[in-house]
Amino acid sequence: MKREWILDKNHLSYWLRQLRNQMQLIAPMRDQVGDIVFKQVEHIHKIELNCPSLLPSVKEFFLPQYERLFEYSKKDDRVVDSISKTKRVIFGLRSCDVAALNTLDRFFIDEMPDPYYKSRRENSLLISIVCNNPDPTCFCIGLDTGPYLKQGFDIQLTDLGDRYFVQAESEWAISIIKNYHFLFSRPQKSDYDDQYEVLLSSKARFQKRISLQQSRQLIKSGRIKDSFWQGITSRCFECGGCVYQCPLCTCFTVVDRSYNDTVERARLWDSCLFKGFTRLAGGILPNEERIKRTKRWFFHKLIHYPDVLESFGCVGCGRCTVTCPGRIDMASVCMKLKSIALNGEEITDEG
Amino acid sequence: MKVKNREPAKQENNIYRPIKGTIERIKKQTSDVSLFTLELEEPVHYKAGQFFMVSVWGAGEVPISVTSLARKSTRIEFCIRRVGMVTGRIHQLKEGDNLWIRGPYGRAFPLELAKGRDVVIVAGGIGIAPLRPLIETFMKRKKYKVSLLYGSRSPDDIVYLDETRKWKQQGVNVVLTVDRPTDGWKGNVGLVTTLWHLAEVDFKKSVAFICGPEVMIRAAMQDLFFFGMPEERIITTLEAHMKCGVGKCGHCYAGKLYICKDGPVFSYKEIKEQSILNLGF
Repeated sequence: MKREWILDKNHLSYWLRQLRNQMQLIAPMRDQVGDIVFKQVEHIHKIELNCPSLLPSVKEFFLPQYERLFEYSKKDDRVVDSISKTKRVIFGLRSCDVAALNTLDRFFIDEMPDPYYKSRRENSLLISIVCNNPDPTCFCIGLDTGPYLKQGFDIQLTDLGDRYFVQAESEWAISIIKNYHFLFSRPQKSDYDDQYEVLLSSKARFQKRISLQQSRQLIKSGRIKDSFWQGITSRCFECGGCVYQCPLCTCFTVVDRSYNDTVERARLWDSCLFKGFTRLAGGILPNEERIKRTKRWFFHKLIHYPDVLESFGCVGCGRCTVTCPGRIDMASVCMKLKSIALNGEEITDEG
Repeated sequence: MKVKNREPAKQENNIYRPIKGTIERIKKQTSDVSLFTLELEEPVHYKAGQFFMVSVWGAGEVPISVTSLARKSTRIEFCIRRVGMVTGRIHQLKEGDNLWIRGPYGRAFPLELAKGRDVVIVAGGIGIAPLRPLIETFMKRKKYKVSLLYGSRSPDDIVYLDETRKWKQQGVNVVLTVDRPTDGWKGNVGLVTTLWHLAEVDFKKSVAFICGPEVMIRAAMQDLFFFGMPEERIITTLEAHMKCGVGKCGHCYAGKLYICKDGPVFSYKEIKEQSILNLGF
């Protein structure tokens, strides 16, 4: 069920203020050093409405970098889990992040549901914004994960200048709009026309055209030799930046921390690019060769993700492009693969 | 988003929550291997080949395979070698102390493959642990001809030495070998993969279950395949770094499979097709 409305921009802050009274509101805000990040909102007027597309992903709000799983009390010999049930609305995230969460739902919830992720997901309402002005690093358009979503969102806003074109899909989202029906009006034909214009102009602004499907086919064809991956690996700094920035990288490790009366069992982000990631008891390192780890990352996203979860392990957000100091991010590697496909050999990368 | 059919979150639904077990007995096997018998606060239903995440609060969790006979019970046994931080802490525990476990996880050994066939069991070191319930099952059912080829570092490192004697009496063809013999050792010396002639089975018509160090597994599987055993009847169980046991943490990911939930038991056929060992990724 998809429903559509128009929201006058003057009504936005009132609506958000009302939502914040009922639940936690998270939106793009400036932090102490001036970066725009997703944060809990205290002052509605401080929300950065015209921020660039590229912000740190909202992964942190569903799979926090450090998350307590259990607290064990030594005295009572009891285990308490800490599953967050806080109701939240996340405002201002982009289509690529919503698409990433939809893929993560299949991974975390469909089989053996992860109660921590599931609870956070069920208690979060997403209000995403169509990207009118994609960044130069964005390539979601080639993956159908942006600049706007045809489905799979809670509430999607398209900025039409003085008003938002509002689409709602989930029942929760529709009920939240209906509660404030006096703020929303029916869309007119001109609104649909304007929305169409905005989407067209947004699509025309993409600078990167990258086909992951093509890269996948090429790898599966067997034409890409290990010497290619050796070259990619030689540029890897093993910093883990791509992994931490990626909205679809979810590997974690689990640690126990002892305090005086309690033990905390927590999970934290881990990276398959680190040598110790697969270390076995006794110190054996199955993936000691760096090339194995580089290939593991790319093959997981390009080959195995689509095989198992029916979508790529990449939404084209371009965060790894910005982060990677070795220029071996997903987009750059796919460009290299494309040049092999076209020319039979590698050409030097642009820039 | 999956919000339909929302159930009230019961605590039992937490896949990461361990249950408490009390150590009833610790039986020392070798200098660094002990057999722990636990009495659990609630019954678990497990099969040979499956594993549990075993933990000590404050040290962490490790995947340990079941070494007791398949059943639904509050009693369970783990044969644990002291090799790292967590297993080191487990070895400091005494009878009456607590171990926490969650599971069982993974696929069990496909026992049905052994129907009407001879069985070769190849073990290396602590690799005997998950194979023990298998041998006991075959002995209980009495219809199987079983050969056990078991290699250890030295005569002092043979786990389940008493039981190998018992199995011999029950009719198992037990072949022991060691890498480094000590004075008084009259048995075989060298790798298990040099002792195939002692297996006393027709490899083409039998089934193999293998567990041990990865080099041994790989060599044994290749040899058996070379002798004509069909690759889907060469079964092994693999070890991997694991943090969750349920296919979420990503550590044991190999090919497009997770050792924890798609394994740890695999056939040679699956290992080759999915390029799991010797990661051909």
